[in-house]
Amino acid sequence: MAGRPVIEARELSLTFATGDGPVYALSKVDLAVEEGEFVSFIGPSGCGKTTLLRVIADLEQASSGRITVNGMSAAAARLARAYGYVFQAPALFPWRTVERNVGLPLEVMGLDDATGRIRHNLELVNLSGFEKKFPWQLSGGMQQRVSIARALAFDPKLLLMDEPFGALDEIVRDKLNQQLLELWDRTGKTVVFVTHSIPEAVFLSTKIVVMSPRPGRIVDVIESKFPRKRTLDIRETPEFLKLAHRVREGLKAGHSYED
Amino acid sequence: MRTEKGPPIPVASLCLLIAVAWYLAAIPMNWVITGPKIEAAGGGLSNVLAFSWNEQRPVIPAPHQIIIELWNTVFAVAPWKIKSLVYHSWVTLSSTLLGFFLGALLGIVLAILIVHSRFLSKSLMPWIIASQTIPILAIAPMIIVVLGSVGFTGLVPKSLISMYLCFFPVTIGMVKGLTSPDPMQLDLMQTYNASGSQILWKLRFPASVPFLFASLKVAVAIALTGAIVGELPTGAMAGIGARLLNGSYYGQTVQIWAALFAASFVAAALVWLVGFAERNTGRLMGARP
Repeated sequence: MAGRPVIEARELSLTFATGDGPVYALSKVDLAVEEGEFVSFIGPSGCGKTTLLRVIADLEQASSGRITVNGMSAAAARLARAYGYVFQAPALFPWRTVERNVGLPLEVMGLDDATGRIRHNLELVNLSGFEKKFPWQLSGGMQQRVSIARALAFDPKLLLMDEPFGALDEIVRDKLNQQLLELWDRTGKTVVFVTHSIPEAVFLSTKIVVMSPRPGRIVDVIESKFPRKRTLDIRETPEFLKLAHRVREGLKAGHSYED
Repeated sequence: MRTEKGPPIPVASLCLLIAVAWYLAAIPMNWVITGPKIEAAGGGLSNVLAFSWNEQRPVIPAPHQIIIELWNTVFAVAPWKIKSLVYHSWVTLSSTLLGFFLGALLGIVLAILIVHSRFLSKSLMPWIIASQTIPILAIAPMIIVVLGSVGFTGLVPKSLISMYLCFFPVTIGMVKGLTSPDPMQLDLMQTYNASGSQILWKLRFPASVPFLFASLKVAVAIALTGAIVGELPTGAMAGIGARLLNGSYYGQTVQIWAALFAASFVAAALVWLVGFAERNTGRLMGARP
């Protein structure tokens, strides 16, 4: 599926100056993400996958290279509110109810029909009926679903997700992965998803970007042939195992398994 | 029985213990005054107790003397009379409340400025800390004289002294509170391209509420102290401070102790009120019960 390019990065590098000398978080990263794709960044800790996502979101600025989001600079895209961002933790405001948490971006941006948007997006994450609850009354998985509804509340075309299910147990994670796929299929969003789980990356993605640390770089980009509508069963198929194997080979080639 | 509100029996027995210790300590402490009288009356336990616990101007009055004085000045006198402790407490309370309100406001405004500007943080903080190292007794008379010369007397100068003392814990607490949101929540607001004032009112301020109430509890007690101190150097005719001063002129220790008790009742009531407001705000903000 060759859609309109949403994210394009050329020779992107980011170096952090620290007390122990420079840290090369990203080194000459080239990346293209097209509309409607589900792209995963996978790699061990310190490979720059979260940093790359933060550069796309303009929460971090590259030291050199070029990046465009929706044909604009990352900064302009952030100002134009081009994307919804889901963090590693739900980062809900504890003093707001579920519906007011989902409504937060709408308040900030001054968008109309808040009630309708909140209802629609809580439906998308299967949380209708929890509008009046406070975050502490929900489980971790439900809290993260609220944060996904919040990221979708203002209907951005692009969804950036930074290990959103990393803190959840595997059973909840499987369920949320499936729900996320359904949501992606229904809404036609472009999703960029950071993870360190190989099965998660292979199950979810149309494109898997394998990354490696020191310096943070892309070692392989794998296209997945699985259809958009998929169930957890595909994880038992030889094709799935082959893809997972190729991801593991990519990680190995990038010395990700060495100390 | 143990209830959620805390065990009443240990509290009561501790009070009893303090009262017993107080009564016993009153005997040797008052001996300077009562000793000769007891000997003149022929000594004996009954005379020791009678004189030690019923002296007109004792070094330390017995608890029941304070209770009687409190009764006489709180309930047995109309509250608008100069002899009424309610009247004096109200005078002090009114300047406490005004000073507390102004101090809390100043504290919050300073904290907002400090959090939003590195320059102000560097330039204001040393002055704020220096202001608290000056003994209030040293500058209270000057504040009152200076303000008196431009026509401010009575309530306002005392309130300003309260304010001067009580803004400090609010500033410190609110700087901590306004910077308490975690980086993820701040990044989230960044992704919305939220303005500085939206970040302040939708994130920083609500996140600082627990810190605000903790510092308000400290501040309200300090504001009361400030109001009393403000009454001392001016020869004020009314207020708990005036009552203390008056008592010490005439050696009326019973009156001093009654005024001290009144001050602590007022302080306890104020702290309880802040706690009450804290619990209600917490409930509105969805705090875990």
